[in-house]
Amino acid sequence: MIVLDKVSKRYGDFQVLTDCSTQVARSEVVVVCGPSGSGKSTLIKTVNGLEPFQGGTITVDGIDVGDPKTDLTRLRARIGMVFQNFELFPHMSVVQNIRVAQIKVLKRPEAEAHQKALALLDRVGLGEQAEKFPSQLSGGQQQRVAIARALAMDPIAMLFDEPTSALDPEMINEVLDVMQELAAEGMTMMVVTHEMGFARRVADRVIFMDEGRIVEDAETDQFFGTPRSDRAQLFLSKILHH
Amino acid sequence: MNYNWDWSILVSEPYMGWLLQGFGWTIAVSSAAWLIAFTLGSTLGIMRTTESRLLRWIGTGYVELFRNVPLLVQFFLWFFVFPEILPDDASRWVKREMPLPAFTTAVVALGLYTASRVCEQVRSGIEAIGPGQRAAGKAMGFSEPQIYRYVLLPVGYRIIIPPLTSEFLTVFKNSSLALTIGVIELTAATRQIEEYTFQGFEAFTAATVIYSVITFAVMGAMRVVERRTRVPGTVALGAK
Repeated sequence: MIVLDKVSKRYGDFQVLTDCSTQVARSEVVVVCGPSGSGKSTLIKTVNGLEPFQGGTITVDGIDVGDPKTDLTRLRARIGMVFQNFELFPHMSVVQNIRVAQIKVLKRPEAEAHQKALALLDRVGLGEQAEKFPSQLSGGQQQRVAIARALAMDPIAMLFDEPTSALDPEMINEVLDVMQELAAEGMTMMVVTHEMGFARRVADRVIFMDEGRIVEDAETDQFFGTPRSDRAQLFLSKILHH
Repeated sequence: MNYNWDWSILVSEPYMGWLLQGFGWTIAVSSAAWLIAFTLGSTLGIMRTTESRLLRWIGTGYVELFRNVPLLVQFFLWFFVFPEILPDDASRWVKREMPLPAFTTAVVALGLYTASRVCEQVRSGIEAIGPGQRAAGKAMGFSEPQIYRYVLLPVGYRIIIPPLTSEFLTVFKNSSLALTIGVIELTAATRQIEEYTFQGFEAFTAATVIYSVITFAVMGAMRVVERRTRVPGTVALGAK
């Protein structure tokens, strides 16, 4: 489904990503972790072309992301993305947030888009909040709306960029629960997160990044049981003992 | 001070008529100039925030040119110099056939100057939103025009309502410079009354009151706009 082959990126002289290769198969859940500044957010943003890259290739569902001839706008409409800071549109009500791209990008009839939005809100447990505005919701609620907004486009895969990093601790689980349900339903997911509990429960594979390189790419059990690289071991010992 | 107050001149003809006509021209010059300023300024402001280097460069060049030359000089350039540097046919048309030459020139000069200021406000409004919203719009499959239409501009304009109000008020006040090229707007009419009657205090008091009425009306209207567009649950979007 998603194939990264020797992806490299630099900002001027600064090398952000070096030869990153990995794959995400259909219905697979891959967690990307690593210390801050390791390039994991940048990596996930190259998948839908939000971040340009200079070397290597990325294909999503057979479409070459780096090819200048690729209609990135159309490709992005098929890939859902959830951001650290939710990025709901503040001037639209919750239901409008979920409706707008369905109507303007997918050209769905308004009534159908509205029904779909309400159904998705029910699914993420926010059926009562449809007419509220983002600023009237808690962070956890906003992030669930953002997930619903992405799902409304019937994506072939979902990208999560630190979806719980901006949340208060008591709200993290309500978001992770929605993501876990999504994984159980067979959604293809690439998730940048520090939530190692979630990774262990939900991920099929874990990718560990450091200084712009993929240092470890292993089955979840193997990653937590016997990580091969020293850096991954060090990272795990720090993150699991607090 | 030996001054014979005579407020009655303000309601006697032809002076009242002059005031009203001056008021009319002030409104006409300012509204038409604002129309140019708002549309052109918004376009330029958007251009300065796009990903295209060429568009950004054009927007920047425009602002630097029009913002840095005094408005009065711009009035003179448009009125006295510009028609001379046109090709013969166009030059003749501007000088002889263009309807309402002084009015048209005043509208263009004031509109183009104010556009450079509106441009900077629109740009600052859009930039205040931050890159995350643009990324979210892109990630949903919006094209760049759609990102502006549905994501950036509705928020950006809300953020800049206060400075845009000031700019709109400034247009009315700056329109008084049109008298220098022969538009008998409110200030020119007032001076005319003074010259005919020597009742300068009364005439300028009337002008002051009329300008104040205009600005209060604009402020009131903008306050309504601000209230109508307020997003529920926010004090002000810009404060986010």
